Amino acid sequence: MKSLTLFLCCLAVAIGVSGQEKKRKQSTYNKAKQNKEDNKFLDKQWWLGFKAGVNLSGVTVDKTYSVISPTNYEASTIGKQYDNFKLIGSQATIEVSFYFKRFLLSFQPTYQYSRFSYENNFEWNAQNAEGGQTNHVELKYEQEQKLDYAIFPLLVKYDIYGNRLRPYVQAGIYSAMLINATKSLTASGIDNAAGGENQFRSESVEVGADDLFAKYHWGLMGGVGVNYNLGNHVRLNLDVMYKYGMSNISSTEHRYGSDRLAGVGDAMDDLTMDNISISLGCLFPLRFLQSTLQTLDK
Amino acid sequence: MIKKTYPILLVLLVLFAALSCSEESNPEFDKQTFTTIFDNNKFDASYFPIDMRQTPDGGYIILGGRKLTDEAESDFTGIYLMKADHFGNFVKDMEVASTSVNPVADFAEFQTKYYFLCMDPISQQAQVASVDANLESVNISPVQGGLTYPAAASFVDNNFIAVGYNNADKQTVIAIVGPDGSELSSKGYTIGVGEDVEKPILQHYLRTGTQYPFDAGKAPNGLYYFNGFYNYTFSLVFTDMTSDDPIGVVEGQRENGGFSAVLPLTGNKFALSRFNFGDNFLLPNNTLPTSGITQTTDLGGYSLPELVSNARVRILRATVDTKNVLIYGSDTKSKQIGLLYYDESTGEFIGSRYLGFSNPFEIASLTQTADGGLAVCGTTYLAGRFPRICILKISKEELAADASK
Repeated sequence: MKSLTLFLCCLAVAIGVSGQEKKRKQSTYNKAKQNKEDNKFLDKQWWLGFKAGVNLSGVTVDKTYSVISPTNYEASTIGKQYDNFKLIGSQATIEVSFYFKRFLLSFQPTYQYSRFSYENNFEWNAQNAEGGQTNHVELKYEQEQKLDYAIFPLLVKYDIYGNRLRPYVQAGIYSAMLINATKSLTASGIDNAAGGENQFRSESVEVGADDLFAKYHWGLMGGVGVNYNLGNHVRLNLDVMYKYGMSNISSTEHRYGSDRLAGVGDAMDDLTMDNISISLGCLFPLRFLQSTLQTLDK
Repeated sequence: MIKKTYPILLVLLVLFAALSCSEESNPEFDKQTFTTIFDNNKFDASYFPIDMRQTPDGGYIILGGRKLTDEAESDFTGIYLMKADHFGNFVKDMEVASTSVNPVADFAEFQTKYYFLCMDPISQQAQVASVDANLESVNISPVQGGLTYPAAASFVDNNFIAVGYNNADKQTVIAIVGPDGSELSSKGYTIGVGEDVEKPILQHYLRTGTQYPFDAGKAPNGLYYFNGFYNYTFSLVFTDMTSDDPIGVVEGQRENGGFSAVLPLTGNKFALSRFNFGDNFLLPNNTLPTSGITQTTDLGGYSLPELVSNARVRILRATVDTKNVLIYGSDTKSKQIGLLYYDESTGEFIGSRYLGFSNPFEIASLTQTADGGLAVCGTTYLAGRFPRICILKISKEELAADASK
């Protein structure tokens, strides 16, 4: 089903591009000879850009998995509690865009470092004959996921208006390839079995987790941004993007592949990951109208 | 110009198609490989597995022991039964009343039910218990005969071959017991004279001392055997169940040495492991004399310093990629379950795998599953202290990869 969705998205992009070709012909017919040189430039331009910034990630659980299977209490009491959009990641992007009549077809390969975390809480209690609590142990596992992805977005952008300041909207699809994944695990808790409240916290343990995550996933993306012409053919770019994950980022085959993590009761849920990013960068035209390297942006 | 972009678009679409091999949920994967720890949030709950069987629905039924928390109940171990589904998820459990205690392996499947031996805590008389695959009810009936203190059993030719202890006559007893509780045959052999000889045996039953690898079964040559105390020594004793004296004895080192696992293969060939003053030795391809008196210390074997002192060892005869493989499972000093694979025909070491980390893991039983994989049942200690039953399921593909390293 999701493969079909992907195909339809690609088809929509292709149709959009095709449609713009027709619009361009009509426009050229209606505005014959007006600012001909300007239009020539604006009708077809390649842009190359670089941008980088920060991002926040959050996940949506499709199906919960756990190594711990309770025999006398509800599984929901030890379920994972996700901290979404709290840990800052980063990204760097190369942008290659083809512009015609305010529309751009843009390919933006990105290196993205994403983080998200969750925690599990466990409790064991003993009660005396009167129902009072006599012994008590609490254990909390905090798990942070650090994921490096190569992301390949294909976007259609539309310049809303303007010359020097050019806001735009954008939408598209992306495919992500996992480069590296690690998980860090920290255990902490309270133990009063020794006669007093003994609070403990272990050192974080870093575990390689490439096998626990899907090699590829994909999603839809959309955003807004603004280009500002610096006056010397270079555009300063501020870009805000939201990526909406469409496929599972966890490995279904190797969910229990890490003995170290399974040993403490951890198994990855089936997850889709969303990501919001803010980037700042520059765009350079690859073709110039005049030998003085001046663009037509005012 | 736009036409010039078509090839680029095409390249991008191909790139997307190539990279968009998205991960789909697959219940088959969830059945083939999983790790499950069955937790109870009672501080003083203590469960440990003894044996496990896969049920026809693909799930698992576990025979376990439990600490009897009420001191008035018994000093022996209580009986705990649990059912998990084919994903390893908890389905149901049952704490059998303390009028029956001391459950022992094998947990045998026979005519849609699962049977095991246990005992009456007052009279120490052996009992046969049966339970259905869904843990609807447990039926317990006393063994008709003199078998007391059952220590281990194997299910051969639709009967239990059990080893027990007769503390009145100070004898280790081997008996053939039917699933209905009838005692078809039995024979006792002296453990020796004196309280010191009996002490480790009673400590074994009360779980206050060393847990000895008692076992009983039938060798391919038709002789019965038990692994237990005989003549002051933990020994492997071969008998025809009629002679007053054993046919053959492989002696250990009093209570400090002997076989830790015995698996008959063909003829006089056995897969074995032995312990000797804390050291462990694996003998995956050994021809054992079943007559006369010999010593375990003469047998040599692969020494494994990584195993805990006098380690518990389980041996499973499995088929991996059409090859007959012996899987040795044991407890390592790093608190993992170590699996060691040997070619059954040659005894050659062919691979290994270590399960568990972070919390301690200990082995209880090995089962080859219907899908060709391996299910390891054991004990782990949540938060480093609460003993809980766990199942670690390895897929057929992983097993094949492990056994071909």
